[in-house]
Amino acid sequence: MDTKVIKPEAEGRGDRTLKIVGTSPVRPDGVPKVTGLARYGADYALPGMLWGAILRSPHAHARIRSIDSSKASALPGVKAVITSADFPEQKYEFVGPERVAINFWHMTRNVMAREKVLYEGHALAAVAATSKIIAEAALRLIEVDYEVLPHVIDVDEAMQPGAPLLFEDMITRGIDPPPNEASNIAKRIEFSIGDLDAGFAAADEIVEMNFKTAPVHQGYIEPHACLARFDNKGQGEIWAASQGHFVVRAFTARLLDMNIGDVLVHPAEIGGGFGGKTVIYVEPLAAALSRKSGHPVKIMMSREDVFKATGPTSGASMTVRIGVKRDGKLVAADGVFKFQAGAFPGSPVMNATMCGFAPYNIPNVRSVGYDVVCNRPKSAAYRAPGSPISAYAVESVMDAVAAKIGMDPLQFRLVNACRTGTPTVWGPKHAHDGCAETLKALLAHPAYAAPLGRNQGRGVASGFWFNNGGESSATVHVNEDGTVVVATGSMDIGGSRASMAIMAAETLGIEYEDVRAIVADTASIGYTHVTGGSRVTYATGIAVVEACRKVITELCARAAMIWSVEKDQVSWEDGSARRAGAGKHEPLSLKAIAAKRALTGGPIGAEASVNAGGAAPGFASELCDVEVDTETGSVKILRFVVAQDVGRAIHRSYVEGQMEGGAVQGIGWALNEAYVYDDAGHLLNAGFLDYRIPVASDLPMIETVLVEVPNPNHPFGAKGAGEVNIVPVMAAVANAINNAIGRRMTELPMSPPKVLAAIHTAPGK
Amino acid sequence: MGGAPVRVVLISSHSGHYTGGVKEFEIEARTLLDVIRVLDRRYPGLGEHLEEETSVAIDGEIHEVAYFHPVHPGSEIYFIPKIEGG
Repeated sequence: MDTKVIKPEAEGRGDRTLKIVGTSPVRPDGVPKVTGLARYGADYALPGMLWGAILRSPHAHARIRSIDSSKASALPGVKAVITSADFPEQKYEFVGPERVAINFWHMTRNVMAREKVLYEGHALAAVAATSKIIAEAALRLIEVDYEVLPHVIDVDEAMQPGAPLLFEDMITRGIDPPPNEASNIAKRIEFSIGDLDAGFAAADEIVEMNFKTAPVHQGYIEPHACLARFDNKGQGEIWAASQGHFVVRAFTARLLDMNIGDVLVHPAEIGGGFGGKTVIYVEPLAAALSRKSGHPVKIMMSREDVFKATGPTSGASMTVRIGVKRDGKLVAADGVFKFQAGAFPGSPVMNATMCGFAPYNIPNVRSVGYDVVCNRPKSAAYRAPGSPISAYAVESVMDAVAAKIGMDPLQFRLVNACRTGTPTVWGPKHAHDGCAETLKALLAHPAYAAPLGRNQGRGVASGFWFNNGGESSATVHVNEDGTVVVATGSMDIGGSRASMAIMAAETLGIEYEDVRAIVADTASIGYTHVTGGSRVTYATGIAVVEACRKVITELCARAAMIWSVEKDQVSWEDGSARRAGAGKHEPLSLKAIAAKRALTGGPIGAEASVNAGGAAPGFASELCDVEVDTETGSVKILRFVVAQDVGRAIHRSYVEGQMEGGAVQGIGWALNEAYVYDDAGHLLNAGFLDYRIPVASDLPMIETVLVEVPNPNHPFGAKGAGEVNIVPVMAAVANAINNAIGRRMTELPMSPPKVLAAIHTAPGK
Repeated sequence: MGGAPVRVVLISSHSGHYTGGVKEFEIEARTLLDVIRVLDRRYPGLGEHLEEETSVAIDGEIHEVAYFHPVHPGSEIYFIPKIEGG
């Protein structure tokens, strides 16, 4: 790994006194994971446990005329069979914010089909039995009478008049007045600033291109799994890996018509999520089977289940037009982004429309999005949801524009880079820098000036992601021996236990090794939103620091009692209480005060809950070198550099790992990954042999440049670091291929057949 | 109220249903709670919509909608759609 750290002149608070923040201490989850001690959702078991199995649709689109489960129920060993009839109907309404507006009418149908199956793999019944074999045998005894319907998967085809309709009464939202006819277009959204026509009229050069991307899966290694049990008072417990056990609790309670307080969710270790585990699939089914059978029930998805029935991100069809003056200043941009939502509304197209042009200062912009349902699994969040897709189109056109006016592509971006005060297409002005700094870091990187060989090319691209804040809770308890336990409600998916321990140790002035960070269950800590949106180091970190500050206040009060002085005469420094302005007393360490806890009032601890705002967005600029085999169309990644503004790295190697991981996932998205369907809408590559994510031997060492423009709203300057790194990748790879072979690749994945076809097509065709 | 006017802009596409399409306002306010109360008084139901369905950008800084956020003379306040992460 080659890592550089660039610290701009604007230093964050207290930077020069930091002792642990920014280092890479031993990861608390490392040894348990590599030795098999970590307990994932599939590792839990209880006495009397049954095995659950799910019947899935063999059809992409069909009406369910009837389900007869009587033979399955009669099979010895079968203890419960459930269908949609075991779940209460939900009201048809969108609740919550527009982008993440939840319609429980949709959610309950995604978890268990009702009137129709809407994709191959759609669950429509489930069985609990004394063994896996019996449960699976019972599934084969369930008789379903289907009326097979025409299906549609491609987004452009799904938008056509006369396309098979998934919902015969769905009227497009976001159009005033609403259309009279039903369609698969769930929603239209539009953001704009300035005067688009005037902007393009003022342009010296205009480039317009069309793009398509394939749906791709998050590719987490751990399939969904959970264990659920109900007691005789109707209270339930769930052990599951997720990106948010409070969300699992809320959604499961809603689908089972329970009070939230009657569901307790224990967070299991998680084997990857990347956004795909912010929703529920098996949890309400296991809970319903447990409630019906009176036994604990465990359900584990297979890899095939994961591919066929859990959310990939959208495939898309996009048109982007950009106008520029000859001096390189952008004057206008227009984007139309059509996203597959999957079987139910809710693609990340709104994020795509907001993020695509966000890195740049463009006075006249329009960004239009369409959320389109089609017969494949409902899309779920995937690492900076939506932004990588629109960035692929925008950054490809940016590259073409730079070439057209003869400007260096990085300099072109730098000339137009957004800064504090630059307007965004969604209205407010940017409040933070970071974009230009990543571009400057890449310009200064030796890779940018390195020579290239035959059939080799270099591409660059930039990207934007919001980074989130929001609700988080943390507790800090001082143990009897002066060590400390930090508990949060944030699932640790990217190293948050380590970063929380670092921030606690730094704040308290103690050793990292004296802090143990854990993830508490839903009954043991305050509400905490999902681990997603690159929010945890920021928001939960603020909660941890606030709790530590409360503990410090209490420690000082205890010291004051021991010294018989007023509290305001005691301060906290380097892990010890000190009496201000006097040398009469030796400092009292945290351990010494902990030893006197009973004498001074009992256990010492504090809780903090926050709704953290002011999370600064993330920017990344990336460089990719490729070599194209002109005989096979195969593309080899020779070099990849990620320059990302991380605000302040809390645990450095975890941040580097995030940057490397984002680059690798984007490379897979760019070159290999795609859902492949047959004419009947069956997924043909529902396994890692045929759905090829990159492996180590496909890749060079990813080079990371940590650009640190601190966010003053965070105690240590942290910005979210988990997502923006994936945003520029596909465009950087496409631009590198274009640089190598002179062909603009406008459809993902850029697989060998497509590259070979492009090579054999005349330029510009 | 006694505070200086702040400029409020509604970006959320559903907000227009409450305001008859009006999207920009000048309001005397010291906190976001003041802003929401004034708008809800003028357009009944808009307050709940803003609380439940939007995020807010105060001088460019994005926050979840919460009553306690201070607003300052000349502040620009945009109610925007919420963002989801991965």
